[in-house]
This record gives sequence, C-alpha cells and structure tokens, in this order.
Amino acid sequence: MSVFYDRFERHDHGTGLKGRSTHYCAGCGHGLAHKYLAEAIEELGVQDRTVAVSPVGCSVFLYYYFDVGNTQAAHGRAPAVAIGHKTANPDSIVISYQGDGDLASIGLAEIVSTAQMGIPITVVFINNAIYGMTGGQLAPTTLMGQRTSTTPEGRTAFFGPPIRMAELIAGLDGPVYVERVALYDAKQRVRAKKAITKALRLQVENRGFAFVEVLAECPTHLGMNPSEAEKWVKEAMTAVFPLGVKKDVEPPTDQVRPVGPEFDPVRLVEVFEGSTEKAPRFCAAFPTLWGTEDIALKFAGAGGDGAQTAALLVARAGINEGFDATHIPSYGPESRGGTSYADVHIARTEVLSPASPSPHLLVAFNAPSLARFGPTVEGGGTIVYDSSVIADVPSLPAGVTAIGVPMTQIASALGRLLVKNVVALGALQAATSIFPEESFLTAIRQALKSRCAMIPLNEEAFARGRQAVRSHEGSVQAN
Amino acid sequence: MWYRIPARLVKSSLDPQWREAPMSTVRERLKPHLLPQFCKGCGRCIESCTRHCISAGTEINAATGLIPVNLDLEQCNGCGLCISACPEPYGLRAEPGKDFVLEDPKALFGARRAASEVAPSIPDELLPLPAVEPLVVKGNYASAIGALIAGCRHFYGYPITPSTEGAELMAKLLPKLRGVFMQAVSETATVNMMYGCGGAGMKAMTFTSSPGFSLMLEGISYMIGAELPGVFVNVMRGGPGLGNIAPEQADIKLACRGLGHGNTQAVVLAPSTPQEMLDLTILAFDLSFRYRNPVVILSDGYLGQMTGTVRLPGTAVKPGLPSWAVSGDRAHRGNLICSFLLSEADLEAHNIHLNSKYAAMKAAEQRADLFETDDAEVLLVACNTPGRMAKGAVRELRARGIKAGLFRPISLWPFPIDALRPLLLRAHRIVVVEASNGQLEDEMRLAISHDSVPRPPAIASVRRFGGVLPQQKEIVDRVLEGVGAALVEGVRV
Ligand code: SF4
Ligand code: SF4
Ligand code: SF4
Repeated sequence: MSVFYDRFERHDHGTGLKGRSTHYCAGCGHGLAHKYLAEAIEELGVQDRTVAVSPVGCSVFLYYYFDVGNTQAAHGRAPAVAIGHKTANPDSIVISYQGDGDLASIGLAEIVSTAQMGIPITVVFINNAIYGMTGGQLAPTTLMGQRTSTTPEGRTAFFGPPIRMAELIAGLDGPVYVERVALYDAKQRVRAKKAITKALRLQVENRGFAFVEVLAECPTHLGMNPSEAEKWVKEAMTAVFPLGVKKDVEPPTDQVRPVGPEFDPVRLVEVFEGSTEKAPRFCAAFPTLWGTEDIALKFAGAGGDGAQTAALLVARAGINEGFDATHIPSYGPESRGGTSYADVHIARTEVLSPASPSPHLLVAFNAPSLARFGPTVEGGGTIVYDSSVIADVPSLPAGVTAIGVPMTQIASALGRLLVKNVVALGALQAATSIFPEESFLTAIRQALKSRCAMIPLNEEAFARGRQAVRSHEGSVQAN
Repeated sequence: MWYRIPARLVKSSLDPQWREAPMSTVRERLKPHLLPQFCKGCGRCIESCTRHCISAGTEINAATGLIPVNLDLEQCNGCGLCISACPEPYGLRAEPGKDFVLEDPKALFGARRAASEVAPSIPDELLPLPAVEPLVVKGNYASAIGALIAGCRHFYGYPITPSTEGAELMAKLLPKLRGVFMQAVSETATVNMMYGCGGAGMKAMTFTSSPGFSLMLEGISYMIGAELPGVFVNVMRGGPGLGNIAPEQADIKLACRGLGHGNTQAVVLAPSTPQEMLDLTILAFDLSFRYRNPVVILSDGYLGQMTGTVRLPGTAVKPGLPSWAVSGDRAHRGNLICSFLLSEADLEAHNIHLNSKYAAMKAAEQRADLFETDDAEVLLVACNTPGRMAKGAVRELRARGIKAGLFRPISLWPFPIDALRPLLLRAHRIVVVEASNGQLEDEMRLAISHDSVPRPPAIASVRRFGGVLPQQKEIVDRVLEGVGAALVEGVRV
C-alpha cells in the first residue's frame, strides 16, 4: 500500500512499533476509512497531486500515515483550508477528512458553505456518534438516550435530536454526490470503499463536491468491544442514520477549469487603469491666499448632493497641478441618505493633517451643513452655498465671505439636478480663483473619461456656476 | 524487506502505469499475512472470514501487550475479506503465495513512488512595471493594488466596514488576472482559507476591520504555528464590541501582543498615507514569505477612505514556489503544514525556533519615520492618521519656536527602539498621540523598558476614542501645557 508511508516517521519519530502501527484504538473505524481512502488514491493514480487535510479529533494524525501532501487544520475548518488549497492549485486533489465534532458541530458553517459552493473537493466524514479525542462527550450525532460523559443520563430532548449530515448536505444544490456508508460487515465495507473511491473520482474528473459519511465504530467510548460496536452501529445508528446514496447527479466534466493566474506587468497596469497621460498644468504657483503651505476645504450636504464628487474633483485638480492633495469622506450609515461631508487638503509639498476642522473654503449644499460648518471657517475664508435651498445664513466669523449661488435652480434649469455639485465648483472657482478654470475642467473631463457624452453638460454647469458669481447674481455677504 | 513488497498486486487501476502492468504473472488470489506485532487484536477480521480461518488469540504479544489473532490458512481461499476488514495499514496484508513468481517490481509497476522528491525552491521574479502617472486612489485601493503588484492573486475575505473597498476592488480586478476572489462565510473561514492557500505557497491576503480581525486570531495563531505567510490588512474601527465604523487605533495591543493563543508575534506595519498603504502592502508580502509568518497591516478607518497620490514602484512580482509548500504536486508531496507537536520536547524546540525568528525580525524589521527630530526637545509619537495630525502639530509648534519633532513608528512590532534611542538623549518630553487608550504608548514603554534606557523623558499623551481622532490643535495645546509646566519647574518633566 504505497499511499501509506513505508514508516510512520511522524508517529513518535517512527520509533519502535509506532513506525508501522496507527495511534487508533483497536477496532476503530478510522483505520478502515483510511485504508479505503488510501486505496482510492492509489487506484486513481493521484498520490502526487493529493493534499489531505487533517482535522482536529482522533484523526488529527492522518498526516502520520498518508504519503501525500499533508496539512493540519484548526478544529472544524478543514473545508476552508481545503478551499485554500484547491484555489491555490486547482490541479491538486484535496481531501477534507473530518469527524463528527469537527464537521457537524464547530465546523457547520464551513462544511455547509463549502458544499453549497460545489467546489470539487472530497469530504470524508466519520460519524461515530461521540467525541473521541476529548474523551467521550456528546457529539451532535449522539443518539437519543446515548450516554456520554456530558450526557451521563443519556441524550435528552434538551439537546435536541442528532443531526443527519448526509441528508443536510444532500439537500444543498452544490454537491454532486452524497452517500452514507458503514463499516460493520463485509458488504458495507465494500460499499464504503466504492463510495470513497467514487467521491474521489468525481474530483479527479473535476465534476464537483462529493461527501461520504461513514458510520464508524468508536469501541473505546461506546464502552464495547469492536464486535459489539459493529453491532451497535448496525442496529442503533443505522436506524437514525439510514445508509445509502442521498444524492448523485454526476454532471459533465467541468469545462471551465481555471488556468493559472496572470502576472504580465503590462496587463497588470492595464487592469488597474494606470495611465501614462500627464495632466496639463495651469497654475503658475501654489495659491497663497490662505497661507503658504496648505489649503483646507470642506464640502457638506445631504447624501446625493454630490459633495464627495466635488471634493474629489478639487483634490484631483490639485494633484494634476503638481501639489499634494487628500480627500477624506464622512462615510457609513450617516452618508447613506443623511449628511455627507468631505475634507480636502491641497498642500504645496505634503498634506500633514488631512482633516479640515477649520476649513479655509466651505461649500454648503443645505442649511444644516452651513449652520454646522459655517462658524468653523477660518477668518479670510470663503463659503459658497446653495441659495436655492438656504434662506438664512448663520452668523459667521469675522472676515469670512459667504456667497449664495442658486445651485439647485441652475442645475434644474439645465435639466439635470445631479450637476448641482459642478455648478458649485464653478462658483467656487469664480469666488476664490483657487485654481484656474481649465484646472477644474480638466479634472472634470478626466472623471468623465468613460462617459464622454456627459462632458458638455458638465462644462455648461461649471460655466453657469462661475457666471452666477461673476454677474453678482449671487448674494454676497461679507463679515 | 517485507514492507517493500507491493501489496496491491491484484488491483487494476485508472493510473496508466497500473493498467499497463503485466498482471498475468501474478497469482490472482493471495492469502493474508500478518506480523503479530502489528495486530491490535480487535477481532474485526475474525467475523469477516466465512471460512473461519481466523480465531481470537490467546497469547499476549510481548512487544505490544496486545493479543493478536491466530491465522490458520488451510481453508483460506484468498478472498481478501479479512484484509479489507483490518483497520491497520500494516496489519493483515496480501502476501504472495509459495508459487508466486517474484518479478522485479520495477518491471511490473515502474518505479515505486514511496519516497517523495526533495522540492526545489523557486524564487520570486521581479518584472519591470511600465511607468505610469501616479494614481489618485483611496488607501484601501492603494493597498489592494500593492497586493497585486506584490504578486498576490488570491483574496479571501468577509465584508466589513470600513475595509470593504479593498475587497471590492479585488473582486473587480482579480478575475481579470485569472486570480481568485473568494467571499468566505465568515472571518473564521477566511483565515483558514488563507491558511490553505498560504500552505500551498501562494500569496494570500484579506481586508478586514477590528471585529473581523478578532475572529481571525485563532487562525493567525495556527498560521504562525505552522509558519505560513499571509497578509492581513486590518482597517481599524471603533470598539469594543460592535463599536462603530469610525477610525480608532485600539487593535494595536491585539496585533502586537495578542495574535491568538500561544507564543505568537508578527510584524505589524502602520501606514499613514495611501502611498504607504501601497508600499507597506508590498513589503508585507515580502516579509511574510521571508519569515514564513503572517504580517499585519494596521490601518485606520480614516486612512482606508482617504484619497491621495500614490506612486508605483518600478517592478512587479511574479511569485515562485517555496520548497516547503504543500502544493499538490510530486516535488512537494513530502511536505506537511502543521502546528501540532504532541511531544513537549518537540514543541519546546519549535517555540525556540519561532523565538529565533522573532529575534531576527526585531533585529531587521524596525521601521520609523523621523520628522524634525534632530534637535527635538519635545518628541511627538504617533502612527497612522494621527501621525499626520502630529506632523501638522510639529510644523505649527516649530513656527512658534518650540523644538518639536515627530517620531512615527512604521513597524509597531517590532517597535523601532533603535531609531528612538538616540532621540531620547535630547528630548525632555514625549507626547504620545493616539486614537486609543494608550496602546501605542504601551508598546513604546515596553520597548524603552526592555532597552533599559536611563532616565527616559516624561511621557504625556493625547488620547481620543470612539472614532474621534486627535486634532492638530489639541496636540499643540497639550505640548504647550507641558512647555509651560517645564518653564515653571525649570527642570526636565
Ligand atoms: S477514541 Fe474512538 S474514535 Fe478515537 S481512536 Fe479510539 S476508537 Fe477511534
Ligand atoms: S482471505 Fe478470505 S478465506 Fe482467507 S482468511 Fe481472509 S477472509 Fe478467510
Ligand atoms: S483486524 Fe487486523 S488488527 Fe484487528 S484482529 Fe484482525 S489482524 Fe488484528
């Protein structure tokens, strides 16, 4: 049996008899399941490609025995580890071997989601109705009335009835093959061997997720000898866990077998849309109206006002001009329909604090925004607000100029309320000359690269915003 | 040697190598053979034999203390049922009969494949990346792009604000590079998928945020124990519990001192700009494979959302395949990924080995950014976004004539004490600025204490919580308070 190691070097360093015997108790069903799995691997000729995932439980030492690629998973997570291996190398043959505590208790989420995903891996599930490794406690598959160390009076209704995993997994759309087998007599053993081989073959043929539940004997914690344990499985367990094929839909071989990932750097740059185009510059120098190093801006409105986009466009314009710039949005539930505000910094060399608790420039799209942030504007700063929706301007710090522009009105006259924020940018440009007109327009065109049809409308909105300020259509209030 | 005789002489197989085997010279039915020291006396074989060839033993085997069965094969027809009833790999086995013509097994089956090869280590390749204009992207995107440049093509994750943009960008871009984007059922599943993918020698990553990171800790401990690479970007948010989705830095303790159970450490990197989100993600993959250990990037919710300029490096990585990987191929068949070492001596040796890796990281992976520290008398210490606020404060303080400087740890573990040590000679005072309850300060204090720095300066702090970040003004105010006090006392404070 070449799929078992010649010598179990990992079993106590292969010393003495441990080099050739398992750690399992006499008569334990695990050994048989191992044997059939090893035979299946060998018969299918996939030993080199196989990755076996050892679980936590009595079969944690699966890797002592199988001469295949081995990995040992955290309790219950073997299917997730199996997904990791299978997605890392779709050519590998990945086997997740799990006991009942591992699969049906702590690892339920992993096994159900993996099965539903239908990823072609093979799961061998050993159900012996009890926890072995930890010493005979209640398992999710423990039978009603069965005594365990944590149900000393027998499993009661309080714990609910045992869970039938084969049926549960078969009820999902993902798996292609689910069968429950047993080991208690020669006939069942032949079936078990066949089922495990089939479950593995389905993976080798890349057909899908296969699951074999094996009713196994744990003589030790049942407090029986192996032959009594066989009898108990045959009589008591199969009454609750009926044997047989639960699902078998063998689909055609999956044609869309993944090929290896792409590492071509040219393709990589293409994928994240790196551009070789250098944006033209229009600023002669860093705008110094508000200090020599850094300008703080804030854009505030209701969700949908376009405050974030306007803010990003200004940051973008700053970067195009060769300055450093940052944009930071308010986000989360409050930005979903509630207030939405954004802080922008434009710096000559490097933005230090990216927040704008006291901005030089504020664009306010509604009254609450103006009321909240207007008083925080630095002396010498400028506010541009939507006079279509804001009637009262709160008292502002000395030296702050507030310019009302009917942004909503202008945008709706253009037939597209959405361009309100571009109207605001036009107004901001005209009111402050922070960057030349073309600076803004370049940023706008860049943003609309994939929606060119929108460019003329946005240019028009920008122009109207500027016009509104320049023709004193807007109301100016200086403090 | 007995165990070298191929046991499965009678099986046909899908493996062409088996199918072509000349079976005619092999006796079809072989009688069972048992070495008593490998029999556990379970008796499963006894009932399987319809010919009653096997009976319960009566003598204790001296080597095992167990009672092996007795075989009397006179009636045996070689049906093999007993063999398939024996749970022991080296228990009942088919044995050639007396008239068996033993041919060279190589002629029968080709070379036996018991021994796996010694796997080669295929190094990463650096490919030139076409020059492009700087990107203007938010921090989370920058990190995702960094991962792609670092050769990561496997992303596993579970959506959580404020980290999701990273995952979303990966979901968009990875399929175009024939990579794998997998939305797991939970963070618990996520980290274990990374365990599998990392175990296969591939570059795997996730984006998460504080509550999700908590859930991943068990798996991170397993990864450290099994020595697996993997990059975790934790975009920290407010806690404890569900907290909120605003920025905090309250996972520093978790990442530096509590990566799950056991003796665990990982390099923890703290970017403070979108540019560093990219650079440090690339570095993280490199370190992760260099040390065969996870690497944690601690970002904050503010930085994740912050858009800024990001320059790309000149090269991109085409990953190789490490020799230790369990990659499902012949060369790597002998490998094992495992954190389980049952014997105390083995586990102690493993921990000593891990400790030596931690020591190597401490020696080689300290990173810090120093701003105006050469003559600094007041040293601000801050990382992530508060590091930027602190930088602003330094500039403001300098303008007021105060010799302030910023010490910004980029590696939180190992804490960059080597860069801090000389600054402590001149500094009168340290002000630690953070969006947490002193977790950064604790890292610094531990490092200073382990370093036995004589007479370290007094330490003050600016701490905010719940998503409120320390602002430049309060940092400046705190420093000025201290300066006032120092002037009054006329001594070092
Ligand atoms: S405790 Fe039970 S399951 Fe575990 S090895 Fe022993 S018999 Fe097998
Ligand atoms: S090979 Fe068949 S007949 Fe011979 S001992 Fe085994 S079960 Fe009995
Ligand atoms: S089945 Fe195997 S281990 Fe059990 S008694 Fe028979 S030979 Fe021994």
